[in-house]
Amino acid sequence: MLEPAAIETFGLSKTYGKKVRALVGLDLRVEAGEVFGYLGPNGAGKSTTIRLLLGLLRPTEGRAALFGLDTSRDGVASRRRVGYLPGDLRLADRLTGKEQLESLARLRGSVDSGFRDELCERLGAVLDRPIRQLSKGNRQKIGLVQAFMDHPDLVVLDEPTAGLDPLLQAEVRALLRETAAAGGTVFLSSHSLDEVQHTADRVGIIRSGRLVDVDSVESLRERSLRHVTVTLAEPVDPGYLAQLDGVRVVRVEGSTLRLSAPETAMDALVKALASHTVLDLVSEPADLEEIFLELYREADDGS
Amino acid sequence: MAAYVGLVASIFPSIESSPDFSELVENYPDILKSLFGLAEGGDITSGAGYLDVELFSLMLPLLVLVLAIGSGTRTFAGEEDAGRLELVLSYPVRRRDAVLAKGAAVATEIVLVSAVAGIAIALFDPVVGLELSFARLGAAVASLAALGVFHGWLALAVGATVPSRALAIGVPAGVAAAGYLVNGLHGLAGWLDPFRFLSPFWLVGSSPLQNGIDAWGAVVVLAAAVAVLGAGSLLVERRDLQTP
Repeated sequence: MLEPAAIETFGLSKTYGKKVRALVGLDLRVEAGEVFGYLGPNGAGKSTTIRLLLGLLRPTEGRAALFGLDTSRDGVASRRRVGYLPGDLRLADRLTGKEQLESLARLRGSVDSGFRDELCERLGAVLDRPIRQLSKGNRQKIGLVQAFMDHPDLVVLDEPTAGLDPLLQAEVRALLRETAAAGGTVFLSSHSLDEVQHTADRVGIIRSGRLVDVDSVESLRERSLRHVTVTLAEPVDPGYLAQLDGVRVVRVEGSTLRLSAPETAMDALVKALASHTVLDLVSEPADLEEIFLELYREADDGS
Repeated sequence: MAAYVGLVASIFPSIESSPDFSELVENYPDILKSLFGLAEGGDITSGAGYLDVELFSLMLPLLVLVLAIGSGTRTFAGEEDAGRLELVLSYPVRRRDAVLAKGAAVATEIVLVSAVAGIAIALFDPVVGLELSFARLGAAVASLAALGVFHGWLALAVGATVPSRALAIGVPAGVAAAGYLVNGLHGLAGWLDPFRFLSPFWLVGSSPLQNGIDAWGAVVVLAAAVAVLGAGSLLVERRDLQTP
């Protein structure tokens, strides 16, 4: 028999009140051992999806299962296998970090306290002060520790690196990779492609409550555009650049050219520019909104 | 609470020795006498009568109910409002069990506070010569705790059923005010009389130190409290958790 997926949803929908369709007919399958990035702008339905998976919300239609356990009927059993970091983490302000972690550990029965201490040390969590005195980043560390401390089979993280400095972001990414290497599953929501592209195997893109696309990170990046601004020593006719595959000339301001190009065309573009004297070159990733627009354009072309 | 009990008790000797006080009370309007349990031929210059009026008719129930409703509201509706339930309920915890555990904590708090009031009164008894029956004092404290548990669990259950902190406070506070007034005034306003069975205050009985309490009434109040908490623990499963 087929091993049940870590996450599987069947036409999962959530409507708030009578009108607000936060999630519409989500069919998603995340295999055990996978790192799955769940991308979308704020308000797209990412947190709604996660809260449905954890049984915090009741589906309007459809259902979801974690490791084959229905999130409504077998809610407790399914949550036993999950560690969760909420997007808007609220801890018990009066407790110290240590007390908070111990109080949460009691809800799980028993927790490997050695591993917990190791996590605290690794992330540099502040344990001996009341949580209300901690900065957002330090609270987030407590949140990360509690999500991982019971070696969960599935870690669900809602915007996990918000408020963390770059060093810690790297530490969190390392933690995610180790979890996956040990056979764990990671479900990671984010509004930034940059945050997930280093860790995720596959990415699902959600917009206005609908899953727009599921793809591997590589192919998404190949398709995603870069904004290139190049300043040359003298004005040039950009016509020859537009002939390169996928490159578009957006604007010409004297000797400064604004171009858009997929990542796959960057090499050819730079080599073509190299025949002139280049004073400056800036390449920026297009933001997710533009990737969506690109995806919609493709979808429209296809229909 | 203990300080207030002490203050009230320490005034008793001067009331006891003042013959004019009974007369003064006699001249109170009927509505006040009815509300404070003075109409039933009680004697305010006896220790039991004095404490019934000064503590058990209003102040102690008020203090215990404020605490009970506050505690019942805070523990679920308040935690949900502050967004702190999300993490806890994402753990392998049945919501029903969370509500019941919170109910136990609320009840423990109320019983402890009621017991502190009772112990404070018992300690002042020999000092100021209240000459109380300790059995009646114990029963009075128990009925106080029963009232507290009912209203506290009502606050908890309402908060578990609907995601509204305002309702979690408002419903039990309204029930308490209505119950108190019906019990105090049903003798004066005939149309209220049929509703007296719905008042928890009427069920446990007034002037507990002089008249004792209605034990069956207290059982009914506790049974109602259990029913309310049970309903809340079932209804909480059906709804969405709100996030701020």
